[in-house]
Amino acid sequence: MQEDEPSLNIPSLLTLAVVSFFVIRWFFTRDEGSSSGGSRPRRGNVVDPAQVEQISQMFPQLSNREIMWDLQRNGGSVAATTERILTGRGLETPPPSFQPQVVLPPRNTTALPRSTTPASKTDGQDLISRYNLSARAAEEAPEAETPSKSSWSQNKEERQRLLQKRRDEMILAARRKMMQKKQGASE
Amino acid sequence: MGSSVAQKRLFHEYKNLSTNPPEGITAGPVSEDDMFYWEALIEGPGGTPFEGGVFAAELKFPQGLSSEPPDYEICWRRVYPNGTVCISILHPPGDDPNHYEHASERWSPIQSVEKILISVMSMLAEPNDESPANVEAAKMWRERRSEYEQKVRDEVRKGLGL
Repeated sequence: MQEDEPSLNIPSLLTLAVVSFFVIRWFFTRDEGSSSGGSRPRRGNVVDPAQVEQISQMFPQLSNREIMWDLQRNGGSVAATTERILTGRGLETPPPSFQPQVVLPPRNTTALPRSTTPASKTDGQDLISRYNLSARAAEEAPEAETPSKSSWSQNKEERQRLLQKRRDEMILAARRKMMQKKQGASE
Repeated sequence: MGSSVAQKRLFHEYKNLSTNPPEGITAGPVSEDDMFYWEALIEGPGGTPFEGGVFAAELKFPQGLSSEPPDYEICWRRVYPNGTVCISILHPPGDDPNHYEHASERWSPIQSVEKILISVMSMLAEPNDESPANVEAAKMWRERRSEYEQKVRDEVRKGLGL
């Protein structure tokens, strides 16, 4: 009978669509209000980039894809994902079909690599190689040079240089002290 | 807007830390183009196996510098392999679900960078094995103290390239 009257069918379908849209929307907003982990409103299964970033900062070894997959599956709960990682269960590898619907803010990737540090992610690398101090470490201790305790300049480059100098001196002084201590102990 | 306030504050702290540096701490932004990414060197506290060592840490401050504590990467991964430091003021605000810490001990935007670094330093002297960053290290600290201390001393020397 309905097949005979398509003009009646379209409005009823539209009504159904509108009603179900509101029902679904109500369902998700209710969900958000009650969940404690989610910090920002989310739409459907879109993962909040802030949450992904929050987790990836805590666990830099994990890929964003894995984090997004887990967040999406647990309904965007940072707490649940963190808990899962901390208990050692690890995150599942997302299926190849999983296409995260999120674009991470670019500052996350571009802001970190900077000129002065050769490698920001050092895996157990010692400080001498980290700051390229091997040449200076081999030199004799410059006794005349007194470490500049306080340093500040109005000039940006100068400040940067002073900071680097203080840092290098701190490492080299500690190294010299340690070497002297060892010599003293072996004599 | 919010981030420029944070930026100013970090710059101010950088200035204070440079003109009047606390004993055994050198800290500042890796580059002033990004005030939210710092590097710090912390001397191991005296009277502990960390004495004489220098430890590098990366500090990533949240753009808002408000409710979220900064992230720390202690590069000394052999003892703290995941680099996350367990220290009460670095936890997000609010009460600890484990009830080890009071809300007042935890992160608040009032904590200065200097105060954070001093806390990290004191944590090296007195690790809190109630909420360890590295379960293995904490276990060794509790059960085989002399082995732990020897390992720390070895790492201190390695860290200085010796």
